[in-house]
Amino acid sequence: MKLGVVKAYMLKELTELLRTRLIVMVYLMPSMILILFGYGIRMDVSHARTLIIDNDQSKYSRALTSKFEHSRYFDATVTQMSEKEALHRIKQATTDIIVIIPSSFQKRLLHGQKSEIGVFVDAAFPTRATTMESYVQGVILNAAQEATQNLGTPKGLIIINNRNLFNQAMRDEDAIVPGLIGLVLLVAPAILAALLIVKEKENGTIFNFYASALSKREFLAAKLIPVFLLHSVNIFILFLMATKLFDVPFRGSFTLYWLTSELYILISLSIGMLISVVTKRQIVAVVLTVIITIIPGFLYSGILMPISSMVGESYIEAHMFPVMYYTHILYDTFLIGEGLASAKTQLYLLILVFYALGMLSLGTLFLKKELK
Amino acid sequence: MADLEVHNVTVSYKKKVAIKDASLKANAGEIIGLIGADGSGKSSLMHAIAGVTRFEGEVCYGGVSYRSPKEAEQLKSDIGLMPQGIGLVLYDTLTVAEHLDFFADIRNIQKNEAFKTYRQKLLHMAGLTEFTNRQAGKLSGGMMQKLSLICALLHRPKLLILDEPTTGVDPLSRMELWEILDGICKSEGTIALVSTAYMQEAAKMARVLLFDEGEIIASDTVKALIDSVGNYTYEQTACENERCFSFDEHTYSLEPLHAPHTEPTLEALFFVNALQKGQTLPHIEIEARESQDEVPQVVMEAKGLTKIFGDFVANDHVSMNLHGGEIVGLLGANGAGKTTFIKMLLGLYPIDEGELYLLGQQIRSGKDRQKLKSKIGYVSQHFALYKDMTVRENLLYFANMHRIAVTTALSRINRYAKELGFEDYMDYFPHELPLGINQRFSVAAAMLHEPVVLFLDEPTSGVDTIARAQFWQILQGIKKKWGISILITTHYMSEAEYCDRVVLMKEGRKIADDSVKVLHAAHPDAKNFEEIFLEYYRSKR
Repeated sequence: MKLGVVKAYMLKELTELLRTRLIVMVYLMPSMILILFGYGIRMDVSHARTLIIDNDQSKYSRALTSKFEHSRYFDATVTQMSEKEALHRIKQATTDIIVIIPSSFQKRLLHGQKSEIGVFVDAAFPTRATTMESYVQGVILNAAQEATQNLGTPKGLIIINNRNLFNQAMRDEDAIVPGLIGLVLLVAPAILAALLIVKEKENGTIFNFYASALSKREFLAAKLIPVFLLHSVNIFILFLMATKLFDVPFRGSFTLYWLTSELYILISLSIGMLISVVTKRQIVAVVLTVIITIIPGFLYSGILMPISSMVGESYIEAHMFPVMYYTHILYDTFLIGEGLASAKTQLYLLILVFYALGMLSLGTLFLKKELK
Repeated sequence: MADLEVHNVTVSYKKKVAIKDASLKANAGEIIGLIGADGSGKSSLMHAIAGVTRFEGEVCYGGVSYRSPKEAEQLKSDIGLMPQGIGLVLYDTLTVAEHLDFFADIRNIQKNEAFKTYRQKLLHMAGLTEFTNRQAGKLSGGMMQKLSLICALLHRPKLLILDEPTTGVDPLSRMELWEILDGICKSEGTIALVSTAYMQEAAKMARVLLFDEGEIIASDTVKALIDSVGNYTYEQTACENERCFSFDEHTYSLEPLHAPHTEPTLEALFFVNALQKGQTLPHIEIEARESQDEVPQVVMEAKGLTKIFGDFVANDHVSMNLHGGEIVGLLGANGAGKTTFIKMLLGLYPIDEGELYLLGQQIRSGKDRQKLKSKIGYVSQHFALYKDMTVRENLLYFANMHRIAVTTALSRINRYAKELGFEDYMDYFPHELPLGINQRFSVAAAMLHEPVVLFLDEPTSGVDTIARAQFWQILQGIKKKWGISILITTHYMSEAEYCDRVVLMKEGRKIADDSVKVLHAAHPDAKNFEEIFLEYYRSKR
């Protein structure tokens, strides 16, 4: 490999990236995706608009309503209105939950009789509805437990002592942002790399490569190294955004995060390059790259659902794309911190290395130094 | 054994054979010309020799033979290729100096004193010394081609392959390009293969290969080639038989005519070849147009039109007028401001200063123009056709844009297709057709709404000889039958002779405006219009 030649080509690539302002895309796009999705995706429910109709107005019913009022998950309003009116509110989407306490609530409790609390949940979004439903149940059970204690009956035999590991506060940011890094670093470098060669084919400047003594490997190195270095900076930018802007904890080894990310960027670049080698038009290259990076990147990054819960085809597909292996290591470094001590991490790292080598050799294989 | 020997090279794309069994020989210092219609296989042969496309057959150069791009790899440092297309191999955002550095570096050239002197010499020859800091995207077409050429020359190739380096380049730049090439071939002993659409250039070549439909049909010196068609060339006269064609004061006929013979030009080769193959060149007959719009005395009048881009004056107080039923040629070097001027007339650029009258009305705003749009037809430098629509669909689309009723549009499209001779190509996509056909149907698209004035911006660049001859017959027909005016820009100085009047532009200013006859009278020494043009460009500052 003639280093001087590669250096000259790289210099030209960098100058072009700067003068065509494509460099803006290198740094704006990843940060934008992180900000837009990081703030945009919400899985847990807080401040659900709750309408409580207290028909009893007793000590016990107030104890229950105050539980709702003091929870950060609910924005509770206690009013008097007919059930019909309340349901109308839910239809108009001005409220999410209706809780109806019957009129003889306290009396029946004290007499040890069964009492029914009416709960209506807006289930237009099923997952959100299930979450809200379980929150409501939790609050009511909690209130009931206290009530039974007050009544002098012996303490509940079973008490749930629940502890959430790795994401104790169950914060959405902690669950989503590392996955997003996996998505961003797959999409952004791939799109840039997809343009690199096909752009020269479309303009005709590819003849400079065809007609010169430049070898295929020199050409690819000259194309990939500048964008690789530029995108490497994103590893640090995204890390800072995750830990400072989204307050995601970082418990693992930074070196592991950094090196795996560099490897992952290389994979992403070689996917884009492979597309650039086989396509003839820039627009086709970009659309193709977006399709084959964003969709699997989203589905298999673990943002929407964990890979372990997938079955059948989706399980196989998830293992075909690099994003799953990388996000596993990402979640480990951010939330768990086991690092290379885990056999799974070691295996996944190895898979990523082979992935990178495989994609790069495919690109070199398919690149032809002649007109098609 | 010759220094370069090409044996039975065949290049095919999928099922289409681009060039079949081509062979040639060349020795050091020779310039070999490749001429022929577009799509006749010139580029494919050049790509094969340059080792950038797969081919069958064998190429031998300097004792090394190769049969594939892979085998050619070892010779790449001796080969220089300049593919077809203005500024094709240049990067828009890199400056002239950066290009030279880049091309030197990818060729792994030592940047020693000798290289620096050579680089300066090339820059000087190309007249680019003062423009080293200008980005390639901002150069004129001629400068781009000169830069591409010196970039291909930087590594002192022994085999130089230039695919239409002068197409779309003005006569002055063309001459300078040839001076560079001549000098290099003589001093460095380079073999140059050059394809060209300008027949005057062929005269400078040692030998000329004539291509036709994927085969080399003749290979000889220019003189021998011209002599071979002498028997078929007559002074212009009426055709008496089918196998006969008249153009530009010559009549070509395979059967003897009762007319005196005349000295043929290289163009004659194409006409005679077409006649020999039994192609009856379609006789072009334009019918009168449907609407009875009166064509006014003065169609367009420009008074001191000025256009300024930043600190660059593209048009400096240009005044001219266009009368009814007149063909005016707008000539000038690349970057002289011809396209800018036409774009101002059309309202594609706002006018910075000056007055413009179209069809007797002064144009002050876009509103004034809107009413006149239906009276103006325009064909741009790069034919504005939609790649993914067939010829028929393209034409229907343009008819719709002009709100022509469907029945009228269909009848007009069919009529033009027949008259302009592209009837057989109606269901093809533009990129499948030769440039000459695209050019004709672009004109048809501009004529659908029956305008009273046509603006044509370099419609003949890159179009082959026969197609250009037919194109001018079309224009003459339109002028005669429709009585409309045509403003046309071109780099073929021979075409100036078909115009009623020519306007010469230089560096944004008008330097001449007269009929060709008057200009010839003023320059009695000039043999053809090209010499008059060069005289204007050299003398008057």
